Amino acid sequence: MAANTTSPQESWTSTIDFERIIRWSGYVAVLAFLVWLVPQIGDNPRGYIQATISGFLTGGIYALVAVGIVMINKASGVFNFAHGAMMLITSLVFYSFFTTPTADYNILVVVALAVSTVVMFLAMNSWRDLLNPQSAVLGAVASVVIVGLMFIGGDSWNLIHALVGAVTTAILIGLMIERFSIRPLVGQPVFTLILMTLALERIFYGLSIMIWGSIDKSLSLFSGVLDQSGVAENPAWKLPRTIRVDVSPFLDESARLTNINLDARLVIAFVIAIIIFVAFVLFFQYTNVGLAMRATSENQVLAQSVGMRVRAILAAAWGIATLLALAAGVLYGGSAQIGIGMPGLVFLAFPAVLLGGLESISGALIGGLIIGIVQLWADTLLPGTQAGTQLAPYVILMIVLVIRPDGLFGQKRIERI
Amino acid sequence: MAANIRPSGVFDTDYAQDISINRTLWDRIASNGLFLVLLVLPFVLPSDWITLIIKISIFAVAAQGLNILLGYTGQISLGHAAFMAVGAYSAGVFVREFGFTFWTALPAAAFFTGCVGLIFGLPSLRVKGFYLAMATLAAQYIIIWMIENPLEPVTLGVEPLPLEAHKPVFFGTELSKTGLYYVIIPLSVMLFLAARNLTRTRIGRAFISVRDNDLAAELLGINVFVYKLQAFFISALFAGVAGVMLAFSEQTLITSQFPLLISIELLAMLVIGGTGYPLGPLFGAAFVLLVNQRLVPELLPPISDFLRDTLTFLPSENIQGALTPLLFGVILALFLIIEPRGLAYRWEILKISWKIRPFSY
Repeated sequence: MAANTTSPQESWTSTIDFERIIRWSGYVAVLAFLVWLVPQIGDNPRGYIQATISGFLTGGIYALVAVGIVMINKASGVFNFAHGAMMLITSLVFYSFFTTPTADYNILVVVALAVSTVVMFLAMNSWRDLLNPQSAVLGAVASVVIVGLMFIGGDSWNLIHALVGAVTTAILIGLMIERFSIRPLVGQPVFTLILMTLALERIFYGLSIMIWGSIDKSLSLFSGVLDQSGVAENPAWKLPRTIRVDVSPFLDESARLTNINLDARLVIAFVIAIIIFVAFVLFFQYTNVGLAMRATSENQVLAQSVGMRVRAILAAAWGIATLLALAAGVLYGGSAQIGIGMPGLVFLAFPAVLLGGLESISGALIGGLIIGIVQLWADTLLPGTQAGTQLAPYVILMIVLVIRPDGLFGQKRIERI
Repeated sequence: MAANIRPSGVFDTDYAQDISINRTLWDRIASNGLFLVLLVLPFVLPSDWITLIIKISIFAVAAQGLNILLGYTGQISLGHAAFMAVGAYSAGVFVREFGFTFWTALPAAAFFTGCVGLIFGLPSLRVKGFYLAMATLAAQYIIIWMIENPLEPVTLGVEPLPLEAHKPVFFGTELSKTGLYYVIIPLSVMLFLAARNLTRTRIGRAFISVRDNDLAAELLGINVFVYKLQAFFISALFAGVAGVMLAFSEQTLITSQFPLLISIELLAMLVIGGTGYPLGPLFGAAFVLLVNQRLVPELLPPISDFLRDTLTFLPSENIQGALTPLLFGVILALFLIIEPRGLAYRWEILKISWKIRPFSY
């Protein structure tokens, strides 16, 4: 805005269009990079095809992380740095319920979990709603149903028990975050909210270490599915349960190896991630609650004045975002491991969010997939330097910020300076 | 600011008095007495406390840099630990490869860090708020990656970079830990005074106007972009000086000293101390480091005993590692909810109530 208009101020800076210079230097950098990249691909086509497909599959999980961040950003207007730690703690709860035999569940813990979640859910708008006799009956029924679901069947229903327990915990965590840390900060500057999510990240990280320790845990979630579909363990390939795809028709003779290895767990995780993603988009687009959420994110005062319960909607947004965190955490844990590196995933999802556009949900999908691919490409280009996790996503981030700050699909209402 | 309140009967008779830092004789005596206390501290305190004070002053300088950026200019940075790393590693490379001494490496590394800060401040032309936080987050990762990988021949990558052979020399004698105290503390005090003075200059007032309303500032003829870049430069300069001091006081450098967590801790120091107050970074750094290095080790045995007895399902070996992030998060969250203006605000209130005693208003 400043540079394009002629300002009355007579200084050397007003004659130079900084914005255009920076943008064009960004374009030049991207072009130079592409010129450098193309011959490298010619050297090792198979490696890049492998990286593209594996990256695509990993990107599905990043998209799930990214959409949780977009959700919070639309609702509360804050970038949720705690999303990774929320993934960690909810997936660890899932792990605990999944690996413990049903007979060993502590009935007191399960009842306390169910009751506190139901109480938080009923008090989403205000504590006064608890006094309503109708909601007391509803809450009692809901608690009984949750506790019943946790003990129904036997060990063979363990997946159901783990899902119910983890979903209940996730909703509880999301509602409690909104109630006790975000709601008291209404009206504070953005920076305060960012720091609050950073504090939450520390708290959840500390709790996870305190309860579950800092050793990586492997969640053998998809082994039943894999056994039925006939994908066997393959010690020879040194990759767990791999699907081999012959790509020789697509590559000429010069490519040394013509097989592509797909981690079967990653394939399943990708499919489930996309299903959850689509379900979420449908919910957001076509249900009343989703419509109310979109309206609230558009203009809170206006939404309130047409009778929407904005506080309850914000709380629900946090609950849903925590559920998305649970889904992403469990899928990531099922395809790789649950470990203390998980909170770092959120820093890979931020570039995906910005690349897709802050307000755009489909943008989160595209951004996640692109970041997944770029990561593995960078690892193939610069092996042994951790370029995939530490460099490439952030270079993309810088380029996006310089060239097109509103992302690929974002609304162009970013405040220009 | 609230410090304008003076005891009754003290009036300004000229403009110099109006903008002076020490308004009254007792202000002057108190501040000079504080310098005297700092001067004699190494003779009365045990050496581990001296180490802690040095660390506090280093982090206070880094947080002061962040304060200039965030508290005065309103631009957020999540990459300040990386700027500290740039200062530390450039000083290390200067003394090891180019034969600089401490006294020449300090300004050179600080200037270099300022220039790196300028590069990552460039997106502030187009974006602000979250977007800028993201750009500086990118700085954090990209800088550390650059130090670890392409610059490995001079920085030794992830290996520690030893600096024992290059201790600061003052008139022919190598400085010991106490000697370093007498270098670092005056430097920090000077930088704090410089930051305090900055707010009384044209640049400082421009910074504050950019923070409060950038459109209005532009309308007043302030070149917002140039002042933002200046803020980034000065802020990175402070971080660079802090990095150099850290490098020479620790004697070894390693990239894991500068993770994202340190950037977050610097932000937390600022919030706890008070954003936008000249003394805020000092209070914040002192509070966070005292809690981390003195209070947590003291509290650890009773708390872990208590937890082991009450919550028996918790594995006791995990408690130690978990308590530091947990306490840090809880303290930060409590400060954000209960006292978002920080300790410096409390300090101002205390000063005012002392000056207008025995009346309460």
